[in-house]
Amino acid sequence: MPLSVRARADTVATLRHTSVYLMETLARWVPTSPEYEAKTLFGRHLWEFAQHADALGQRTSELRLGFHANRPPTEAYATILETVRASDPTPTRLTRMYDGIVPDLERRYRAYLEAVDHLMDEPTVRIVERAQTDLARMIRERDEVLTQRPDLAGPLDGGIIEALNAIEEIVDFRPMPAGAGS
Amino acid sequence: MTATGVGLRTKTVHGVALCDDPAREACFTVVHTDAEMHEWPGMSDVSRRERIHRHMNNECGAMEIAAQALVDFPDAPWDLRMRVARQAADEARHVLLLARRLDELNGHRGEFPVANYEWGVTNMVNTLPGRLAIENRTFEAGLIDLLGSLRTTWREAGDETTAEVLDAILSDEITHVRFANRWIRRLTEENPRVLLDVAMAVRFLARVNQALEPAVGSVNAVGVAFTAESRRPPAVDVDARLEADFTEEEVREVLRQAGFRSILPREVS
Repeated sequence: MPLSVRARADTVATLRHTSVYLMETLARWVPTSPEYEAKTLFGRHLWEFAQHADALGQRTSELRLGFHANRPPTEAYATILETVRASDPTPTRLTRMYDGIVPDLERRYRAYLEAVDHLMDEPTVRIVERAQTDLARMIRERDEVLTQRPDLAGPLDGGIIEALNAIEEIVDFRPMPAGAGS
Repeated sequence: MTATGVGLRTKTVHGVALCDDPAREACFTVVHTDAEMHEWPGMSDVSRRERIHRHMNNECGAMEIAAQALVDFPDAPWDLRMRVARQAADEARHVLLLARRLDELNGHRGEFPVANYEWGVTNMVNTLPGRLAIENRTFEAGLIDLLGSLRTTWREAGDETTAEVLDAILSDEITHVRFANRWIRRLTEENPRVLLDVAMAVRFLARVNQALEPAVGSVNAVGVAFTAESRRPPAVDVDARLEADFTEEEVREVLRQAGFRSILPREVS
């Protein structure tokens, strides 16, 4: 049984909220990371997340949840996002974002594609496919930075990866109060 | 659209409170005034490298200002935030383009002092229209004028590669100034108080400029004198400013301030 319109709308709104959050996270890191390679990587990639948020936000309207609707994720996932945002210094930021959050998000997009009828939900499918391509490129571009600046490679943060893997669902399907979240 | 919880630290330069510097690697010597910079006249090898080095850091500052605006104004209209996010990405590309050119000219990061003046001034303003008025409508519009002349300077010096880089940057900067002009107009129509925010920001910038402008006759860190000519605003790129959605009246005013020196002239009725 494919996801209902409402369930898809809630998922898309949650992915939009996450994309906006990640755009803002990278924006915070631009002036506070000393290395040009990292600053410019974050500066370019925040635009990728902005585009994902924009496309997803237009889709929430088509799925009857309102234009650019946002749904905060589950508490567990929100906590991880906050932990990642608070990361410092640059090697920790890079590994938590590009070894933790980005691959996990890619996995969640893939799960979405597996859960929906591709014909019924074709507009979302296209948005998600483009986002997946972007996320894969973002990881490659981080790898290129590490090739230029091996000193920015940090130890893999197993704790974050484990915590992300433990979260099955990032969408909080509980009803939102009227007027909230958009 | 007032910044909440910005929490940026400040520094005092010549009695003026400015936003403290963004993070820079230890290889950079960060200074706070033009007098401490190593700006040479002409197009000698060292002057070329310093020009690109300085421009690279300024583009980095523009990226940081745009990024900080995304942090400080989460409630701004989404379409405006999208423009600001795109600007951050554009400025990041500019940094990379100039860093690559610096390498090609056998320069290196930290070879010259850098100053983060635009960051220091712009982030003291706690409204987004005010920041757009300073960073996009003033600093970046000034860069439009400057790039209009510099492309020719680099070409005449036989460096077509750098001229092409500057040309590419110019087209992006026109876009940044244009969206700021359009959004300030739109926000002002929706709420006339925004005009007051803009006016206060511009007045603040004028006050800071006045306090920090080096005196004519004084010299910079490499002994080059500041002259009345070197302090003049660059010739106005009339076409580029019109393309960036300045009104003809605004262009006339900028022309007046620049002593009616212009490049790429087009008739302004």
